[in-house]
Amino acid sequence: MKFVDEYRDAELGQVLAGEILAELDPGRHYKLMEICGGHTHSIYKYGIDDLLPANVELVHGPGCPVCVIPMGRVDDGIAVAHNDGVIFTCFGDMLRVPGSEYTLLDAKAQGADVRMVYSPLDALRIARENPEREVVFFAIGFETTAPSTALTLKRAKAEGITNFSCVCNHVTIVPPMRALLESPDLRLDGFIGPGHVCTVVGARPFQFIPADYGRPVVISGFEPLDILQSILMILRQLRAGRCEVENQYPRVVPQEGNLRALEVMAEVFELRPHFEWRGLGFISQSALRLSEAYREFDAEERFEVPGVRVADPKACQCGEVLKGVIKPWECKVFGTACTPEHAIGTCMVSPEGACAAYYNFGRFAREREAV
Amino acid sequence: MSELDSSVHPAGASGAACEAQDGHCITCSDAGITMLVVEPGGPSSVCADEDRQLHEVAVELVAPVQIGDQVLVHAGVAIRRLAV
Repeated sequence: MKFVDEYRDAELGQVLAGEILAELDPGRHYKLMEICGGHTHSIYKYGIDDLLPANVELVHGPGCPVCVIPMGRVDDGIAVAHNDGVIFTCFGDMLRVPGSEYTLLDAKAQGADVRMVYSPLDALRIARENPEREVVFFAIGFETTAPSTALTLKRAKAEGITNFSCVCNHVTIVPPMRALLESPDLRLDGFIGPGHVCTVVGARPFQFIPADYGRPVVISGFEPLDILQSILMILRQLRAGRCEVENQYPRVVPQEGNLRALEVMAEVFELRPHFEWRGLGFISQSALRLSEAYREFDAEERFEVPGVRVADPKACQCGEVLKGVIKPWECKVFGTACTPEHAIGTCMVSPEGACAAYYNFGRFAREREAV
Repeated sequence: MSELDSSVHPAGASGAACEAQDGHCITCSDAGITMLVVEPGGPSSVCADEDRQLHEVAVELVAPVQIGDQVLVHAGVAIRRLAV
């Protein structure tokens, strides 16, 4: 398929690996963070870290939308799902995220009408088909997914659909990045920027990273050659003493983003004063809620929700993994008590979570090393 | 493109098989999928994924689209028409 196959060429990958090696200062350790969970998934799936020299370390960032949802918000969703007559809809990977006591999948087993959807538009269709039932969509995701929810709510309003509402957990990527850059326990040399988020928001929101923190950013595609080339571009900036936002992914990412998507989001959402991120705590103006014009579709207004903050299980170190402080396999319960089949932490649930990606792909390389 | 799956999955891909391109499960909340426009329309168009399965995709944010355009789809909504 165009835009896919040509970016998976193994020989070109080796060439890029050689160019990366040539760009390095052998006496320096480079720590680069990939912000997006999609990159984390690709890095492990294609063994990209195996192609890199030992002094280039990839650190996994907080850009997996499922991983950053705190337990209290899952509990809120479960509470709504248990209301009589409610059809509760969410993305598939959200079903297995543990709340304080159990998951949405467990709630379904207990009798709640919980259904998986791919798109919020699917949830709206269910609402059209079931006018006597309340249909709730549990919205999660960064700026990639928020336009889908916004568009769905615009359609619901235009069609006068009154039995549809949304638990809005949409988050924005810039505030947690700022929080990470302020973190004293993490020294990073550069960032692999989130290609699909930038498709919507453009490159400008990331200018603060070179401007305020002196770190280069390269907005990257998701195929293996994209990621390798982005790493090379970061290293070239570092070697040349440059520090800017570069776009490796212009075939998809326009400099200005998708203005129509931004307009729809601005109409439907407004910033929350603060929102809790798993592992990162409360971050100001880092999440979205429905604007006044769309407040009638806010499930948190329509139903009673506990709204209680729940601490993560003590054994779980998702917070440190999300901040890039530890690697997935350094977590105490990785691969033993916590596996994709029986996840304790969110990072093991989503395929974009660093723990799940590493469990599914990367651990084999480590096992080979051990032998 | 030939031998398209003739059944169209409404407003996304929730009827489709779980594994999509790149090993991502298409029920994941954050998987971007490249699709080909096969039947343009507004506000939704019929698009084919890498496995030639058809999906109904909202295209308002990238309109107008034509047959043969490639679009990047997140959660049933096209967020970018790709440059060819």
